[in-house]
Amino acid sequence: MKAVDFGLKLGAEHVELKAEETSKTLITTKDGKVEVVREGFEAGVNIRVLVKGAWGCVSTLKTNQQSLLKAVEDAYKLAQSSSKKIKEKVKLAEVKACKDKSLIKSGKDPRNILINQKIEEILTVDKTLFKLDSQVKSCTIDYLDLVGKDFFVNSESSFIEKEKLYVWLRVYATAREADVFASASEELGSTAGYTIFNENPPEKLGEKIVKRLKTQLKAKPAKGGIFPVVLGSNVVGVFIHEAFGHLAEADLTLSGSVILDKLGKKVASENVTVFDDGTVEGAFGSFKYDDEGVPSQKTILVKDGVIVGLMHNRETAGKFNVKPTGNARAENFRHVPIIRMRNTYLKPGNYSFEELIEPIKFGYYLKNFRGGQANLDGTFQVGVQEAYEIVNGKIGEPVRNLSISGNTLETLKKVEAVGKDFKLWPGRCGKGQIAFVCDGGPSIRVGEIQIGGRR
Amino acid sequence: MVDHLYVWVKYRLEEEDSLSLIEIGEKIVRSALKLDADEVEVYLVKGWSLHVEIERNQLVRNVKSIDEGFGIRIVSNRSIGFAYTNLVSKENIEKTVLKAYHASKTGKPNEQWKGFPKPAKLPETKNTYDKKIAEILLEEVVDSAQIMLESAQKVDEKVFVVDGSVSVGEIIKAVVNSQGVSFKDEGTGVGCFLSTVAKDVETTPVCFESEHERVYKVDFEKVGVEAAKQAVSALGSKTIRTGVYEVIFGQHALASLLYYTFINALKADNVQRGKSKLKGKLNQQIISENLTLIDDGLMDGGLETWKFDDEGTISQKTVVVDKGILKNFLYDKLTADKDLTQSTGNAQRISYPSYVSTPHIEPTNFVVLPGKPSPENLLENMKKGIYVTHLQGAHSSNPESGEFSVVATPAWFVENGEIRYPLKWVMLTGTIYEVLNNVVDVANNLKKVNFLVAPWVKVSNVKVVGK
Repeated sequence: MKAVDFGLKLGAEHVELKAEETSKTLITTKDGKVEVVREGFEAGVNIRVLVKGAWGCVSTLKTNQQSLLKAVEDAYKLAQSSSKKIKEKVKLAEVKACKDKSLIKSGKDPRNILINQKIEEILTVDKTLFKLDSQVKSCTIDYLDLVGKDFFVNSESSFIEKEKLYVWLRVYATAREADVFASASEELGSTAGYTIFNENPPEKLGEKIVKRLKTQLKAKPAKGGIFPVVLGSNVVGVFIHEAFGHLAEADLTLSGSVILDKLGKKVASENVTVFDDGTVEGAFGSFKYDDEGVPSQKTILVKDGVIVGLMHNRETAGKFNVKPTGNARAENFRHVPIIRMRNTYLKPGNYSFEELIEPIKFGYYLKNFRGGQANLDGTFQVGVQEAYEIVNGKIGEPVRNLSISGNTLETLKKVEAVGKDFKLWPGRCGKGQIAFVCDGGPSIRVGEIQIGGRR
Repeated sequence: MVDHLYVWVKYRLEEEDSLSLIEIGEKIVRSALKLDADEVEVYLVKGWSLHVEIERNQLVRNVKSIDEGFGIRIVSNRSIGFAYTNLVSKENIEKTVLKAYHASKTGKPNEQWKGFPKPAKLPETKNTYDKKIAEILLEEVVDSAQIMLESAQKVDEKVFVVDGSVSVGEIIKAVVNSQGVSFKDEGTGVGCFLSTVAKDVETTPVCFESEHERVYKVDFEKVGVEAAKQAVSALGSKTIRTGVYEVIFGQHALASLLYYTFINALKADNVQRGKSKLKGKLNQQIISENLTLIDDGLMDGGLETWKFDDEGTISQKTVVVDKGILKNFLYDKLTADKDLTQSTGNAQRISYPSYVSTPHIEPTNFVVLPGKPSPENLLENMKKGIYVTHLQGAHSSNPESGEFSVVATPAWFVENGEIRYPLKWVMLTGTIYEVLNNVVDVANNLKKVNFLVAPWVKVSNVKVVGK
């Protein structure tokens, strides 16, 4: 608290400080062998001060009082040098001071699991893959568990102690037959402890990946052009995240995203309702407080096709004159908190999968994605690792090497039907720093989408 | 937009510490050898960085970071354990050594392991450290950012600056191992970028310009002007018909496409694991004879130039492709031992911060040898084609097959030697091998973008999906 008071005494209008301690265990295996086991411990502090509407931020490792006072002074000077030039001053939305301790409830703390058990379960995935199919050529598995503690204080007398727990796994496998290469990946992630294999037993996970690889080896190139499609839950997740989610991060909205002048307006078909929810128990994008000490919440972004909300930090909430939504997150003490998604999803409807594909004469069913990217003008791209033709209302042959693209606003209007299935998919999102998130939803039918295929 | 924008700057050093990085490293190696470890390697870094950040048309945030830490690899019975920390205190050093030691006991032996690199004479490098950067004042960096911002705003009132930054930093790194390697190198960097859009009845896609150097020679004004001009010229976009076109790739577009496809095929670990289409193709023609590709770890002022790589192999210049013929793969020590050859000095720790990870094979300064024509010449000879500066979704390519399907944005239609109008809804698709085989011209305008040092490259017969 002394450091915070010192900042105020220097003349800052807002001071906040987050100290953290993190332990990580990382395991990498390649083709059935442990490549390396990594153990890490780090600690540090991030300090932010606001002086006449400009930010000064310092991240440092030294946590003794003298170093902290020096760091606050540095942050003050940093802010001061830009505050002379700033025209539109940063103004933070008010939040209630909060004193709380948020502890991990998990019964399955990864620190209590022997490293040999973790290795064994990871290698079971690998073994299943190689055993099932001789075409499998490689398998890389990365495992991470992260346990840590944050202490947050600010000049409004908030004091929050928060424990963090993440468990994450990614499997990436390739197969080859003659000159055809296939690859498939799967990601698991949880904040509920070492539970990732509960829902996805290692053998099942291996089988799922092999099936996808074999399908791809048989697949033919897709056609290029405009087609009707059914997007599976996995692709819907990344579509909602990339194509809409990023545009609704209020910092990017303000930066000129295409939805800036669409707030309160109908942009999508009535079937479309979108949430960004930080309160889903155990989900990879859930947490109790964000890195500005604002409680996480379930935020509705689109209701029946109308944009009703954005994701905010205190700065953008101040600008829009609304309440912050608890979306400010920093990867660690080296980064300043910025607006990040949590668990972002499309609300399910009531169509069965058969009803979704039934009216399509020729189109594509896009089941699993490989990566995606958004642009402020609403252009999105989603790469696809698993896809099939739809012919006369039935799933046809597999296709490979394609991505989909379009404009968010046009595509959202063309959502014709929304399925009743639902799943959240854990992943990591990059916006200059990494955040753990989930995205998901049901399967949907979209009237037309641009397919980047080679035929 | 949400892809990683390259920011050079890494870290800092405070003079107060009595022990040098090498001394600390040697102490750690000695203490680890007291356990029954076979081999030990310590990688240490210390650095600072300063970023002056621009958001929405104004300077809004200044960020200073100080970081130091080390990562230790311990080998017991050919099994590697690794631990890292950023608290370089006596007590924590001991804890970290023990963690790495225990981690080495949990893995299984790696038969390929033949040891850490042995000592060698360090090569000379040029223009990798600038005292001016090490001693720079905050005000000068703030002023540079202001210059970049204002020069963009002056171009046209339709220009809106999304974000940008000017960054400076300094870093010392050291590698000490039980084979006798005790290396240290020090470097500086400066970089800036500006993202812009232009708005009238429509908003353009995000346009981007950047410049990164190791010494303080960056033209902030030019970066601002270019980023703004690009945005203005992206207004009024039209669609294009699906078909096959000639495409000129700008450096950013080329960097992202190569990184997620071809570069992976050059990494020796991928070759050894059957994940590369280039396996077994040494000394064969694999791409157009117009292309010569060199991985130059010693490039004068290169963004990735260091005297040694991140596991202590001295840096070198490696010809990878000579006039289309594959001459070499990129190696670290482990993969080189496996192929009974020498490491090419391509072991890197590319995470942020670097000491939290073990080394992986990555290119250093990957140079596309420039040709004779100017970029204008490349345009002049184009009847009907596309000029693209950035690709959206290159990271979703298939690294094994080299297949890609991406959005070209921003991109412009070129007709009879002139840039006619900007394009929207353009997708490019194909394989990287087709693209590199169909390179018809290489310009002379070298630019450093991330790992890549390249000019514009013109490619024929690219499949384009329009709307």
